[in-house]
Amino acid sequence: MRSVFVVALAAAVAITGCGPEPVNPKRQIGPHPYLPKIHQYLLPPMHLAEKEPWGNTKPTVPKGLKVQLFAKDLKNPRSVYVLPNGDVLVVEPEGPTAPPPARPKEFVMNWMEQKTHSSTKAPDQILLFRDANGDGVPEFHTLFLDHLRAPFGVVLVGNDLYVANTDAIYRFPYRTGQTRITVPGVKLCDLPAFPIDHHWTKSLTASPDGTKLYAGVGSNSNITENGLSAETGRASVWEIDRATGAHHEYATGLRNPNGLQFEPHTNVLWVVVNERDEIGPDLVPDYLTSVKKGAFYGWPYSYWGQHVDPRVKPERPDLVAKAIPPDYALSSHVAPLGLVFYNATNLPAHYHGGAFIGEHGSWDRDVFNGYKVVYVPFAHGRPSGMAEDVVTGFLDGDKMRGRPVGLAIDSHGGLLIADDVGNAVWRVTR
Amino acid sequence: MPGGNPRSTARIGYHPIHVMLVPIPIVCFVGTLLSDIAYAETANMQWANMSVWLLTFGILIAILAVIAGLIDFLNEPRIRDLSAAWIHAVGNVLVLVLSIINAFIHSRDAYTSVVPTGLILSAIVVAILLVTGWNGWTMVYKHHVAVSSEIDQ
Repeated sequence: MRSVFVVALAAAVAITGCGPEPVNPKRQIGPHPYLPKIHQYLLPPMHLAEKEPWGNTKPTVPKGLKVQLFAKDLKNPRSVYVLPNGDVLVVEPEGPTAPPPARPKEFVMNWMEQKTHSSTKAPDQILLFRDANGDGVPEFHTLFLDHLRAPFGVVLVGNDLYVANTDAIYRFPYRTGQTRITVPGVKLCDLPAFPIDHHWTKSLTASPDGTKLYAGVGSNSNITENGLSAETGRASVWEIDRATGAHHEYATGLRNPNGLQFEPHTNVLWVVVNERDEIGPDLVPDYLTSVKKGAFYGWPYSYWGQHVDPRVKPERPDLVAKAIPPDYALSSHVAPLGLVFYNATNLPAHYHGGAFIGEHGSWDRDVFNGYKVVYVPFAHGRPSGMAEDVVTGFLDGDKMRGRPVGLAIDSHGGLLIADDVGNAVWRVTR
Repeated sequence: MPGGNPRSTARIGYHPIHVMLVPIPIVCFVGTLLSDIAYAETANMQWANMSVWLLTFGILIAILAVIAGLIDFLNEPRIRDLSAAWIHAVGNVLVLVLSIINAFIHSRDAYTSVVPTGLILSAIVVAILLVTGWNGWTMVYKHHVAVSSEIDQ
Protein backbone atom coordinates (compact mmCIF):
# COMPACT_ATOMS: atom_id res chain seq x y z
CA MET A 1 0.00 0.00 0.00
CA ARG A 2 2.71 2.47 0.94
CA SER A 3 4.57 1.75 -2.28
CA VAL A 4 1.40 2.50 -4.26
CA PHE A 5 1.32 5.88 -2.60
CA VAL A 6 4.95 6.61 -3.46
CA VAL A 7 4.37 5.59 -7.07
CA ALA A 8 1.32 7.85 -7.29
CA LEU A 9 3.24 10.81 -5.92
CA ALA A 10 6.12 10.20 -8.32
CA ALA A 11 3.65 9.98 -11.19
CA ALA A 12 2.06 13.26 -10.11
CA VAL A 13 5.45 14.97 -10.08
CA ALA A 14 6.29 13.51 -13.48
CA ILE A 15 3.00 14.70 -15.03
CA THR A 16 3.51 18.20 -13.67
CA GLY A 17 7.15 18.48 -14.59
CA CYS A 18 7.29 17.46 -18.22
CA GLY A 19 6.49 19.85 -21.04
CA PRO A 20 6.96 19.86 -24.78
CA GLU A 21 10.15 21.01 -26.50
CA PRO A 22 9.95 24.78 -27.02
CA VAL A 23 9.50 25.91 -30.61
CA ASN A 24 11.35 28.91 -31.99
CA PRO A 25 8.57 31.48 -32.68
CA LYS A 26 10.20 32.23 -36.06
CA ARG A 27 9.09 28.76 -37.23
CA GLN A 28 5.52 29.88 -36.57
CA ILE A 29 5.60 33.10 -38.56
CA GLY A 30 4.31 33.14 -42.12
CA PRO A 31 1.80 31.19 -44.19
CA HIS A 32 2.93 27.69 -43.14
CA PRO A 33 3.59 27.64 -39.38
CA TYR A 34 5.10 24.59 -37.72
CA LEU A 35 2.40 23.05 -35.51
CA PRO A 36 3.62 20.80 -32.67
CA LYS A 37 1.45 18.11 -31.07
CA ILE A 38 -1.23 19.16 -28.60
CA HIS A 39 0.01 19.21 -25.02
CA GLN A 40 -2.49 19.46 -22.19
CA TYR A 41 -0.99 20.37 -18.87
CA LEU A 42 -1.85 19.41 -15.32
CA LEU A 43 -0.65 22.87 -14.30
CA PRO A 44 -0.61 25.10 -17.40
CA PRO A 45 2.32 27.54 -17.40
CA MET A 46 1.45 31.10 -16.36
CA HIS A 47 4.20 33.64 -16.69
CA LEU A 48 3.14 37.14 -15.75
CA ALA A 49 5.34 40.20 -15.86
CA GLU A 50 5.32 42.68 -12.97
CA LYS A 51 3.99 46.10 -13.97
CA GLU A 52 6.62 48.83 -13.86
CA PRO A 53 6.00 52.49 -14.85
CA TRP A 54 7.83 53.85 -17.91
CA GLY A 55 9.36 56.67 -15.87
CA ASN A 56 11.72 58.44 -18.26
CA THR A 57 12.22 55.39 -20.44
CA LYS A 58 10.61 54.85 -23.83
CA PRO A 59 9.98 51.95 -26.18
CA THR A 60 12.82 51.00 -28.49
CA VAL A 61 12.76 51.51 -32.26
CA PRO A 62 15.28 50.58 -34.99
CA LYS A 63 17.81 53.09 -36.29
CA GLY A 64 16.21 55.72 -38.51
CA LEU A 65 13.00 55.83 -36.48
CA LYS A 66 12.06 58.05 -33.57
CA VAL A 67 9.59 57.33 -30.76
CA GLN A 68 7.80 60.06 -28.78
CA LEU A 69 5.35 60.10 -25.93
CA PHE A 70 2.23 61.49 -27.62
CA ALA A 71 -0.11 61.28 -24.61
CA LYS A 72 0.38 60.14 -21.03
CA ASP A 73 -1.54 59.68 -17.76
CA LEU A 74 -4.36 58.03 -19.68
CA LYS A 75 -6.73 55.44 -18.27
CA ASN A 76 -6.52 52.07 -20.02
CA PRO A 77 -6.18 53.46 -23.59
CA ARG A 78 -7.06 50.63 -25.94
CA SER A 79 -7.70 52.16 -29.36
CA VAL A 80 -6.62 55.20 -31.33
CA TYR A 81 -8.47 56.63 -34.32
CA VAL A 82 -7.48 59.55 -36.51
CA LEU A 83 -10.19 61.90 -37.85
CA PRO A 84 -9.81 63.47 -41.32
CA ASN A 85 -8.69 66.83 -39.85
CA GLY A 86 -5.89 65.08 -37.94
CA ASP A 87 -7.52 65.03 -34.52
CA VAL A 88 -6.68 61.85 -32.63
CA LEU A 89 -9.32 59.97 -30.67
CA VAL A 90 -8.15 57.80 -27.77
CA VAL A 91 -10.64 55.25 -26.44
CA GLU A 92 -10.52 54.53 -22.71
CA PRO A 93 -12.80 51.55 -22.01
CA GLU A 94 -13.52 50.03 -18.65
CA GLY A 95 -13.74 46.32 -19.44
CA PRO A 96 -17.03 44.71 -18.40
CA THR A 97 -17.18 43.42 -14.84
CA ALA A 98 -16.38 39.72 -14.67
CA PRO A 99 -19.44 37.59 -13.82
CA PRO A 100 -19.39 35.44 -10.65
CA PRO A 101 -17.00 32.51 -11.21
CA ALA A 102 -18.62 29.57 -13.01
CA ARG A 103 -15.70 27.39 -11.86
CA PRO A 104 -13.00 27.63 -9.15
CA LYS A 105 -10.45 28.18 -11.94
CA GLU A 106 -11.94 31.58 -12.66
CA PHE A 107 -10.68 32.95 -9.33
CA VAL A 108 -7.18 32.36 -10.73
CA MET A 109 -8.06 33.75 -14.17
CA ASN A 110 -9.57 36.92 -12.68
CA TRP A 111 -6.48 37.46 -10.54
CA MET A 112 -4.32 36.98 -13.64
CA GLU A 113 -6.39 39.57 -15.55
CA GLN A 114 -5.81 42.10 -12.79
CA LYS A 115 -2.08 41.40 -12.74
CA THR A 116 -1.64 41.89 -16.47
CA HIS A 117 -4.00 44.71 -17.32
CA SER A 118 -4.19 48.37 -16.51
CA SER A 119 -5.00 48.88 -12.85
CA THR A 120 -6.34 52.35 -13.56
CA LYS A 121 -10.11 52.52 -13.35
CA ALA A 122 -11.15 53.62 -16.81
CA PRO A 123 -14.07 55.94 -17.44
CA ASP A 124 -15.61 54.43 -20.63
CA GLN A 125 -14.92 57.58 -22.60
CA ILE A 126 -13.13 58.91 -25.67
CA LEU A 127 -10.59 61.76 -25.51
CA LEU A 128 -9.59 64.03 -28.39
CA PHE A 129 -5.99 65.20 -28.93
CA ARG A 130 -5.10 67.93 -31.45
CA ASP A 131 -1.56 68.13 -32.81
CA ALA A 132 -2.07 70.54 -35.70
CA ASN A 133 1.63 71.16 -36.44
CA GLY A 134 2.46 67.47 -36.36
CA ASP A 135 5.37 67.78 -33.92
CA GLY A 136 4.00 64.93 -31.81
CA VAL A 137 3.13 67.26 -28.94
CA PRO A 138 -0.64 67.86 -28.88
CA GLU A 139 -1.57 71.51 -28.41
CA PHE A 140 -4.60 70.50 -26.41
CA HIS A 141 -6.77 67.61 -25.46
CA THR A 142 -10.33 67.37 -24.27
CA LEU A 143 -13.10 64.96 -23.37
CA PHE A 144 -14.75 64.08 -26.69
CA LEU A 145 -17.47 61.57 -25.85
CA ASP A 146 -18.56 59.81 -22.66
CA HIS A 147 -21.39 57.69 -21.21
CA LEU A 148 -20.19 54.74 -23.29
CA ARG A 149 -20.10 51.07 -22.33
CA ALA A 150 -16.74 49.31 -22.79
CA PRO A 151 -16.13 51.05 -26.16
CA PHE A 152 -13.36 49.82 -28.49
CA GLY A 153 -13.93 50.34 -32.21
CA VAL A 154 -14.47 53.77 -33.79
CA VAL A 155 -15.03 54.66 -37.43
CA LEU A 156 -16.15 57.82 -39.23
CA VAL A 157 -18.18 57.65 -42.44
CA GLY A 158 -18.98 61.11 -43.82
CA ASN A 159 -20.58 62.97 -40.91
CA ASP A 160 -21.52 59.81 -39.02
CA LEU A 161 -19.23 58.69 -36.23
CA TYR A 162 -19.77 55.09 -35.17
CA VAL A 163 -18.64 53.76 -31.80
CA ALA A 164 -18.71 50.05 -31.00
CA ASN A 165 -19.60 49.61 -27.36
CA THR A 166 -19.27 46.03 -26.19
CA ASP A 167 -23.04 45.56 -26.51
CA ALA A 168 -24.08 47.79 -29.43
CA ILE A 169 -22.94 50.10 -32.22
CA TYR A 170 -24.03 53.73 -31.83
CA ARG A 171 -24.04 56.53 -34.40
CA PHE A 172 -23.22 60.11 -33.45
CA PRO A 173 -23.34 63.20 -35.68
CA TYR A 174 -19.87 64.72 -36.22
CA ARG A 175 -18.71 67.82 -38.08
CA THR A 176 -15.07 68.39 -38.98
CA GLY A 177 -13.25 70.19 -36.19
CA GLN A 178 -15.82 69.34 -33.55
CA THR A 179 -14.17 68.62 -30.20
CA ARG A 180 -17.09 67.46 -28.09
CA ILE A 181 -20.16 65.34 -28.71
CA THR A 182 -22.93 65.68 -26.16
CA VAL A 183 -25.99 64.47 -28.08
CA PRO A 184 -27.02 60.91 -27.32
CA GLY A 185 -26.11 58.34 -29.95
CA VAL A 186 -28.58 56.43 -32.07
CA LYS A 187 -28.29 52.66 -31.84
CA LEU A 188 -27.47 51.04 -35.18
CA CYS A 189 -27.53 47.43 -33.93
CA ASP A 190 -26.95 45.31 -30.85
CA LEU A 191 -23.82 43.18 -30.51
CA PRO A 192 -23.48 39.95 -28.49
CA ALA A 193 -22.29 40.89 -24.99
CA PHE A 194 -23.74 39.93 -21.63
CA PRO A 195 -23.84 37.68 -19.71
CA ILE A 196 -20.18 36.59 -19.49
CA ASP A 197 -18.78 38.76 -22.37
CA HIS A 198 -15.44 36.95 -22.27
CA HIS A 199 -13.84 38.60 -25.31
CA TRP A 200 -15.48 42.00 -25.13
CA THR A 201 -13.51 44.25 -27.51
CA LYS A 202 -15.55 45.05 -30.61
CA SER A 203 -13.36 46.30 -33.44
CA LEU A 204 -15.01 48.36 -36.13
CA THR A 205 -14.29 49.49 -39.65
CA ALA A 206 -16.25 50.60 -42.72
CA SER A 207 -16.16 49.36 -46.29
CA PRO A 208 -14.29 51.69 -48.68
CA ASP A 209 -17.61 52.77 -50.27
CA GLY A 210 -19.04 53.49 -46.82
CA THR A 211 -22.20 51.41 -47.21
CA LYS A 212 -21.24 48.64 -44.79
CA LEU A 213 -19.68 48.42 -41.35
CA TYR A 214 -17.66 45.43 -40.15
CA ALA A 215 -17.43 44.49 -36.47
CA GLY A 216 -15.22 41.89 -34.81
CA VAL A 217 -17.10 39.82 -32.24
CA GLY A 218 -14.85 37.59 -30.12
CA SER A 219 -15.80 34.24 -28.61
CA ASN A 220 -17.40 33.95 -25.18
CA SER A 221 -14.85 31.41 -23.92
CA ASN A 222 -11.43 29.95 -24.56
CA ILE A 223 -12.80 26.80 -26.16
CA THR A 224 -16.59 26.48 -25.51
CA GLU A 225 -16.19 25.85 -21.77
CA ASN A 226 -19.13 28.21 -21.19
CA GLY A 227 -21.32 26.06 -23.42
CA LEU A 228 -22.04 26.32 -27.14
CA SER A 229 -25.21 28.36 -26.57
CA ALA A 230 -23.05 31.19 -25.18
CA GLU A 231 -21.34 31.46 -28.59
CA THR A 232 -24.33 32.51 -30.70
CA GLY A 233 -23.23 35.21 -33.12
CA ARG A 234 -19.70 35.19 -31.73
CA ALA A 235 -16.22 34.30 -32.99
CA SER A 236 -17.08 36.06 -36.21
CA VAL A 237 -16.87 39.22 -38.23
CA TRP A 238 -20.26 40.87 -38.70
CA GLU A 239 -21.27 42.83 -41.77
CA ILE A 240 -23.75 45.55 -40.87
CA ASP A 241 -25.74 47.60 -43.34
CA ARG A 242 -25.08 51.21 -42.47
CA ALA A 243 -28.48 52.44 -43.59
CA THR A 244 -30.67 49.86 -41.85
CA GLY A 245 -28.54 48.15 -39.19
CA ALA A 246 -29.36 44.77 -40.78
CA HIS A 247 -26.47 42.42 -40.12
CA HIS A 248 -25.17 38.92 -40.68
CA GLU A 249 -22.04 36.94 -39.96
CA TYR A 250 -19.66 37.78 -42.82
CA ALA A 251 -17.07 35.18 -41.77
CA THR A 252 -17.02 32.77 -38.82
CA GLY A 253 -14.66 30.57 -36.80
CA LEU A 254 -12.46 33.58 -35.92
CA ARG A 255 -11.93 33.16 -32.15
CA ASN A 256 -11.15 36.77 -31.21
CA PRO A 257 -10.91 39.01 -34.28
CA ASN A 258 -9.55 42.54 -33.81
CA GLY A 259 -7.98 45.34 -35.81
CA LEU A 260 -10.35 45.13 -38.78
CA GLN A 261 -8.82 47.09 -41.71
CA PHE A 262 -9.24 47.27 -45.45
CA GLU A 263 -6.00 46.84 -47.38
CA PRO A 264 -5.92 50.13 -49.33
CA HIS A 265 -4.72 48.81 -52.72
CA THR A 266 -6.98 45.78 -53.03
CA ASN A 267 -9.89 46.88 -50.77
CA VAL A 268 -9.79 43.47 -49.09
CA LEU A 269 -10.75 43.21 -45.40
CA TRP A 270 -7.97 41.97 -43.06
CA VAL A 271 -8.02 41.11 -39.39
CA VAL A 272 -5.72 39.85 -36.62
CA VAL A 273 -7.03 36.95 -34.54
CA ASN A 274 -6.21 35.64 -31.06
CA GLU A 275 -6.27 31.86 -31.17
CA ARG A 276 -7.05 29.32 -28.42
CA ASP A 277 -5.09 28.62 -25.22
CA GLU A 278 -4.12 25.70 -23.00
CA ILE A 279 -2.97 23.14 -25.56
CA GLY A 280 0.68 24.11 -25.35
CA PRO A 281 3.02 27.11 -25.36
CA ASP A 282 3.32 26.83 -29.16
CA LEU A 283 -0.31 26.18 -30.04
CA VAL A 284 -2.19 27.73 -31.59
CA PRO A 285 -0.39 30.48 -33.56
CA ASP A 286 -2.29 33.76 -33.59
CA TYR A 287 -2.67 35.11 -37.08
CA LEU A 288 -3.24 37.85 -39.63
CA THR A 289 -5.69 36.97 -42.36
CA SER A 290 -7.80 38.39 -45.12
CA VAL A 291 -11.45 37.79 -44.37
CA LYS A 292 -13.21 35.85 -47.10
CA LYS A 293 -16.97 36.30 -47.33
CA GLY A 294 -18.81 33.28 -45.93
CA ALA A 295 -15.59 31.52 -44.91
CA PHE A 296 -15.21 29.41 -41.75
CA TYR A 297 -11.81 29.62 -40.04
CA GLY A 298 -12.18 26.70 -37.64
CA TRP A 299 -12.99 27.92 -34.14
CA PRO A 300 -13.96 26.08 -32.05
CA TYR A 301 -13.87 22.76 -33.88
CA SER A 302 -10.47 22.99 -35.53
CA TYR A 303 -7.42 25.25 -35.88
CA TRP A 304 -5.23 26.26 -38.80
CA GLY A 305 -7.54 24.54 -41.24
CA GLN A 306 -8.49 21.01 -40.33
CA HIS A 307 -6.51 20.35 -37.10
CA VAL A 308 -9.28 19.07 -34.83
CA ASP A 309 -9.45 20.35 -31.25
CA PRO A 310 -10.36 17.35 -29.03
CA ARG A 311 -11.87 19.63 -26.38
CA VAL A 312 -14.99 20.46 -28.38
CA LYS A 313 -18.02 18.19 -28.23
CA PRO A 314 -20.22 17.40 -30.06
CA GLU A 315 -17.83 17.13 -33.00
CA ARG A 316 -18.73 18.77 -36.28
CA PRO A 317 -16.79 17.02 -39.06
CA ASP A 318 -18.98 18.83 -41.59
CA LEU A 319 -17.71 22.21 -40.36
CA VAL A 320 -14.11 21.01 -39.97
CA ALA A 321 -14.19 19.95 -43.62
CA LYS A 322 -15.15 23.54 -44.55
CA ALA A 323 -12.49 25.22 -42.39
CA ILE A 324 -9.85 27.16 -44.31
CA PRO A 325 -6.38 28.03 -42.97
CA PRO A 326 -5.68 31.71 -42.35
CA ASP A 327 -3.13 33.63 -44.43
CA TYR A 328 -0.23 34.44 -42.12
CA ALA A 329 0.76 33.13 -38.67
CA LEU A 330 2.25 35.52 -36.11
CA SER A 331 3.45 32.77 -33.66
CA SER A 332 1.70 31.55 -30.54
CA HIS A 333 0.05 33.64 -27.81
CA VAL A 334 1.40 37.03 -29.03
CA ALA A 335 -2.20 38.34 -28.66
CA PRO A 336 -2.45 40.68 -31.67
CA LEU A 337 -5.05 43.39 -31.04
CA GLY A 338 -4.05 46.21 -33.37
CA LEU A 339 -3.61 46.30 -37.15
CA VAL A 340 -2.95 49.19 -39.52
CA PHE A 341 -1.72 49.33 -43.13
CA TYR A 342 0.93 51.95 -43.80
CA ASN A 343 -0.19 54.08 -46.68
CA ALA A 344 1.63 57.31 -45.76
CA THR A 345 5.16 58.51 -46.50
CA ASN A 346 6.73 59.76 -43.26
CA LEU A 347 8.33 56.43 -42.34
CA PRO A 348 11.21 55.10 -44.48
CA ALA A 349 10.24 53.39 -47.76
CA HIS A 350 10.95 50.03 -46.13
CA TYR A 351 7.66 50.37 -44.23
CA HIS A 352 5.46 51.47 -47.12
CA GLY A 353 2.53 49.31 -48.10
CA GLY A 354 2.77 46.70 -45.34
CA ALA A 355 0.97 46.15 -42.05
CA PHE A 356 1.88 47.10 -38.51
CA ILE A 357 0.52 44.79 -35.82
CA GLY A 358 0.21 45.56 -32.08
CA GLU A 359 0.96 42.43 -30.04
CA HIS A 360 -0.42 42.71 -26.51
CA GLY A 361 1.78 39.83 -25.33
CA SER A 362 1.54 36.36 -23.80
CA TRP A 363 0.65 35.22 -20.30
CA ASP A 364 0.38 31.46 -20.72
CA ARG A 365 3.86 30.41 -21.81
CA ASP A 366 7.14 30.36 -19.90
CA VAL A 367 9.01 32.47 -22.45
CA PHE A 368 7.22 35.76 -23.19
CA ASN A 369 6.06 36.25 -26.78
CA GLY A 370 4.66 39.45 -28.30
CA TYR A 371 4.78 42.68 -26.24
CA LYS A 372 5.82 44.59 -29.37
CA VAL A 373 4.71 46.14 -32.62
CA VAL A 374 5.80 44.18 -35.68
CA TYR A 375 5.78 44.98 -39.39
CA VAL A 376 4.66 42.51 -42.04
CA PRO A 377 5.68 43.54 -45.57
CA PHE A 378 3.02 43.27 -48.29
CA ALA A 379 3.26 42.95 -52.08
CA HIS A 380 0.26 42.84 -54.41
CA GLY A 381 -2.05 42.90 -51.39
CA ARG A 382 -0.51 39.81 -49.73
CA PRO A 383 2.12 39.35 -46.98
CA SER A 384 5.43 39.03 -48.77
CA GLY A 385 8.05 38.31 -46.13
CA MET A 386 9.05 37.72 -42.55
CA ALA A 387 7.52 39.83 -39.76
CA GLU A 388 10.08 42.10 -38.15
CA ASP A 389 10.16 43.87 -34.80
CA VAL A 390 9.58 47.62 -35.02
CA VAL A 391 8.66 48.85 -31.54
CA THR A 392 10.02 46.83 -28.62
CA GLY A 393 11.11 47.54 -25.03
CA PHE A 394 7.65 47.05 -23.55
CA LEU A 395 9.23 44.27 -21.52
CA ASP A 396 12.28 44.91 -19.38
CA GLY A 397 13.43 41.51 -18.17
CA ASP A 398 10.58 40.23 -16.03
CA LYS A 399 9.06 43.71 -15.75
CA MET A 400 6.33 44.98 -18.04
CA ARG A 401 6.32 48.70 -18.77
CA GLY A 402 3.51 48.61 -21.29
CA ARG A 403 1.45 46.51 -23.66
CA PRO A 404 0.65 47.65 -27.20
CA VAL A 405 -2.97 47.45 -28.30
CA GLY A 406 -4.62 49.55 -31.03
CA LEU A 407 -2.68 51.30 -33.81
CA ALA A 408 -3.39 54.18 -36.18
CA ILE A 409 -1.55 56.39 -38.68
CA ASP A 410 -1.81 60.10 -37.93
CA SER A 411 -2.27 62.80 -40.55
CA HIS A 412 1.49 63.44 -40.70
CA GLY A 413 2.32 59.78 -41.28
CA GLY A 414 3.32 58.90 -37.73
CA LEU A 415 2.41 55.52 -36.26
CA LEU A 416 0.33 55.84 -33.08
CA ILE A 417 0.32 53.04 -30.51
CA ALA A 418 -2.16 52.74 -27.64
CA ASP A 419 -0.38 51.29 -24.57
CA ASP A 420 -2.98 50.12 -22.04
CA VAL A 421 -0.60 49.18 -19.22
CA GLY A 422 1.73 52.18 -19.68
CA ASN A 423 -1.42 54.35 -19.92
CA ALA A 424 0.16 56.20 -22.83
CA VAL A 425 0.00 56.73 -26.58
CA TRP A 426 3.36 56.46 -28.37
CA ARG A 427 4.16 57.99 -31.75
CA VAL A 428 6.75 56.60 -34.13
CA THR A 429 8.10 58.77 -36.96
CA ARG A 430 11.12 59.01 -39.18
CA MET B 1 -0.94 1.48 28.01
CA PRO B 2 -4.32 2.83 29.11
CA GLY B 3 -7.27 0.48 29.21
CA GLY B 4 -10.52 0.76 27.26
CA ASN B 5 -10.92 1.31 23.50
CA PRO B 6 -8.30 2.92 21.23
CA ARG B 7 -8.84 6.65 21.60
CA SER B 8 -9.26 9.53 19.22
CA THR B 9 -6.94 12.42 19.98
CA ALA B 10 -8.54 15.01 17.66
CA ARG B 11 -11.99 15.13 19.17
CA ILE B 12 -14.64 17.42 20.53
CA GLY B 13 -15.90 15.91 23.76
CA TYR B 14 -16.08 12.21 22.87
CA HIS B 15 -16.83 12.91 19.20
CA PRO B 16 -13.87 12.24 16.89
CA ILE B 17 -13.50 15.12 14.41
CA HIS B 18 -12.36 12.79 11.61
CA VAL B 19 -15.57 10.77 11.69
CA MET B 20 -17.69 13.91 11.69
CA LEU B 21 -15.90 15.33 8.63
CA VAL B 22 -15.52 12.31 6.32
CA PRO B 23 -19.11 12.15 5.02
CA ILE B 24 -18.58 15.46 3.20
CA PRO B 25 -15.67 14.44 0.95
CA ILE B 26 -17.15 10.97 0.44
CA VAL B 27 -20.41 12.43 -0.85
CA CYS B 28 -18.55 15.06 -2.91
CA PHE B 29 -16.26 12.51 -4.60
CA VAL B 30 -19.10 10.09 -5.33
CA GLY B 31 -21.07 13.05 -6.69
CA THR B 32 -18.09 13.99 -8.88
CA LEU B 33 -18.17 10.54 -10.47
CA LEU B 34 -21.91 10.80 -11.09
CA SER B 35 -21.73 14.25 -12.66
CA ASP B 36 -18.68 13.14 -14.71
CA ILE B 37 -20.75 10.28 -16.10
CA ALA B 38 -23.58 12.72 -16.85
CA TYR B 39 -21.12 15.02 -18.67
CA ALA B 40 -19.58 12.18 -20.66
CA GLU B 41 -23.09 11.21 -21.77
CA THR B 42 -24.36 14.70 -22.62
CA ALA B 43 -21.35 17.04 -23.16
CA ASN B 44 -23.44 19.61 -21.26
CA MET B 45 -20.97 21.88 -19.46
CA GLN B 46 -23.17 22.25 -16.36
CA TRP B 47 -22.20 18.69 -15.34
CA ALA B 48 -18.48 19.34 -15.74
CA ASN B 49 -18.86 22.56 -13.72
CA MET B 50 -20.74 20.66 -11.02
CA SER B 51 -17.94 18.07 -10.92
CA VAL B 52 -15.21 20.62 -10.35
CA TRP B 53 -17.12 22.40 -7.56
CA LEU B 54 -17.80 19.04 -5.85
CA LEU B 55 -14.13 18.12 -6.23
CA THR B 56 -12.95 21.45 -4.82
CA PHE B 57 -15.18 21.39 -1.72
CA GLY B 58 -14.47 17.68 -1.27
CA ILE B 59 -10.73 18.35 -1.29
CA LEU B 60 -10.97 21.26 1.17
CA ILE B 61 -12.86 19.16 3.74
CA ALA B 62 -10.78 16.04 2.94
CA ILE B 63 -7.63 17.95 3.90
CA LEU B 64 -9.15 18.70 7.33
CA ALA B 65 -10.35 15.09 7.66
CA VAL B 66 -6.90 13.73 6.78
CA ILE B 67 -5.27 16.04 9.35
CA ALA B 68 -7.69 14.91 12.07
CA GLY B 69 -7.27 11.27 11.05
CA LEU B 70 -3.48 11.48 11.07
CA ILE B 71 -3.52 13.05 14.54
CA ASP B 72 -5.57 10.10 15.77
CA PHE B 73 -3.35 7.63 13.91
CA LEU B 74 -0.05 9.05 15.18
CA ASN B 75 -1.11 9.53 18.81
CA GLU B 76 -2.61 6.13 19.53
CA PRO B 77 -0.34 3.07 19.14
CA ARG B 78 -3.34 0.77 19.39
CA ILE B 79 -4.70 2.33 16.19
CA ARG B 80 -1.35 1.93 14.44
CA ASP B 81 -1.36 -1.77 15.44
CA LEU B 82 -4.41 -2.37 13.23
CA SER B 83 -3.82 -3.38 9.62
CA ALA B 84 -7.25 -1.94 8.80
CA ALA B 85 -6.01 1.45 10.04
CA TRP B 86 -3.01 1.32 7.71
CA ILE B 87 -5.15 0.44 4.69
CA HIS B 88 -7.62 3.17 5.67
CA ALA B 89 -4.93 5.82 6.17
CA VAL B 90 -2.79 5.13 3.12
CA GLY B 91 -5.85 4.67 0.91
CA ASN B 92 -7.43 7.93 1.96
CA VAL B 93 -4.22 9.92 1.53
CA LEU B 94 -4.13 8.44 -1.97
CA VAL B 95 -7.75 9.56 -2.46
CA LEU B 96 -6.73 13.09 -1.53
CA VAL B 97 -3.69 13.13 -3.82
CA LEU B 98 -5.61 11.70 -6.78
CA SER B 99 -8.48 14.14 -6.19
CA ILE B 100 -6.10 17.10 -6.22
CA ILE B 101 -4.67 15.87 -9.54
CA ASN B 102 -8.26 15.34 -10.69
CA ALA B 103 -9.16 18.93 -9.80
CA PHE B 104 -6.38 20.20 -12.07
CA ILE B 105 -7.57 17.90 -14.87
CA HIS B 106 -11.11 19.19 -14.31
CA SER B 107 -9.80 22.77 -14.59
CA ARG B 108 -8.97 22.23 -18.25
CA ASP B 109 -11.47 23.67 -20.69
CA ALA B 110 -14.40 21.68 -22.12
CA TYR B 111 -14.42 17.98 -23.04
CA THR B 112 -10.92 16.86 -22.01
CA SER B 113 -11.48 18.31 -18.54
CA VAL B 114 -13.53 15.16 -17.94
CA VAL B 115 -13.09 12.60 -20.71
CA PRO B 116 -11.17 10.38 -20.37
CA THR B 117 -8.64 11.23 -17.61
CA GLY B 118 -10.98 13.03 -15.21
CA LEU B 119 -13.65 10.35 -15.41
CA ILE B 120 -11.07 7.57 -14.85
CA LEU B 121 -9.60 9.35 -11.82
CA SER B 122 -13.07 9.96 -10.36
CA ALA B 123 -13.88 6.24 -10.74
CA ILE B 124 -10.56 5.15 -9.17
CA VAL B 125 -11.19 7.49 -6.23
CA VAL B 126 -14.65 5.98 -5.59
CA ALA B 127 -13.19 2.45 -5.86
CA ILE B 128 -10.52 3.30 -3.26
CA LEU B 129 -13.20 4.90 -1.05
CA LEU B 130 -15.07 1.58 -1.00
CA VAL B 131 -11.93 -0.15 0.34
CA THR B 132 -10.99 2.56 2.83
CA GLY B 133 -14.60 2.92 3.95
CA TRP B 134 -14.86 -0.82 4.59
CA ASN B 135 -11.64 -0.73 6.63
CA GLY B 136 -12.80 2.34 8.51
CA TRP B 137 -15.96 0.51 9.55
CA THR B 138 -13.77 -2.44 10.59
CA MET B 139 -11.83 -0.07 12.85
CA VAL B 140 -14.99 1.19 14.54
CA TYR B 141 -17.37 -1.74 14.58
CA LYS B 142 -14.79 -4.49 15.18
CA HIS B 143 -11.99 -2.76 17.08
CA HIS B 144 -14.09 -0.01 18.70
CA VAL B 145 -11.63 2.71 17.68
CA ALA B 146 -12.73 6.03 19.22
CA VAL B 147 -15.79 4.47 20.77
CA SER B 148 -16.06 5.83 24.28
CA SER B 149 -16.17 3.20 27.03
CA GLU B 150 -16.88 3.37 30.73
CA ILE B 151 -13.18 3.61 31.52
CA ASP B 152 -12.98 6.80 29.44
CA GLN B 153 -15.90 8.29 31.26
